[in-house]
Amino acid sequence: MKKVLEIIWIILIALTIFAYLLGYLKYIDSALVSILLISTFIKGALVIEHFMGLKDVAFKYRVIPTLWLAFVLSAIAVAYYL
Amino acid sequence: MTIKEKYPPGDFGVWIIIYIELVTFAMLFLGYAFSRRADVELFNQSQLMLNQTSGFINTIILITSSYFVAKAVQAVKSMDESNYKEFNKKASKWLIFALMCGATFLLVKITEFSHIFGEGINLSTNKFFMFYLLLTGFHFMHVMLGSIILFNIFMKTKKFGYTPTDTRGIESGASYWHMVDLLWIVLFPLIYIIR
Repeated sequence: MKKVLEIIWIILIALTIFAYLLGYLKYIDSALVSILLISTFIKGALVIEHFMGLKDVAFKYRVIPTLWLAFVLSAIAVAYYL
Repeated sequence: MTIKEKYPPGDFGVWIIIYIELVTFAMLFLGYAFSRRADVELFNQSQLMLNQTSGFINTIILITSSYFVAKAVQAVKSMDESNYKEFNKKASKWLIFALMCGATFLLVKITEFSHIFGEGINLSTNKFFMFYLLLTGFHFMHVMLGSIILFNIFMKTKKFGYTPTDTRGIESGASYWHMVDLLWIVLFPLIYIIR
């Protein structure tokens, strides 16, 4: 459990490499955009929970940035798919 | 089950600033996303002129700097009266790495900006580049401010300024830096990848 920050860092790097590889595709399939947005949500949530340290904080403060992230990424998805 | 803290880490004032910044950037992100809908072809063609590798490198750099800052906070929060000097030293070591990441981010971004401006691109070139320059320029200023904050925290750790009863300064600065990272995590796929 002592290496939690290291594990989070590795996951964040892996998801960033995944996004970068997607960027190489001339045309990105709309399903891939969904996966990219979900992976971005996971990255943001990991930063909020573990780096910002909000996992140890009362729910009302923890939920604000997570809701912000969910709202922004959902709106981006709406703009992309509609 | 762990007992939750009543308030987020650091001063509450910094969280008000963080919430305001998140709302401001959200408007810019959504402005970009919905403007793109109106002219997908223009946005896709313009996006291909960006250097995705520099966006990728900067994402890695910011994530890594956030990790270093989290390690510095972890060090400071583990201290007690008998070892606070040792833990201030540990924190300063992590902060130096974070500062180096911040400086590298700015250098990569300046290189990218000089390439873009060298191509004759500016705010009025088209809507894509208006949003690109606004979003990344505004974010660039936040990285500069965050680096200044981290430098001040670093100087305080060099003077063994954090004690078991006084860690709010480093927590506030760290929260701001993580917000800068969080904003880039959304910005990177939105501007550089999605098309």
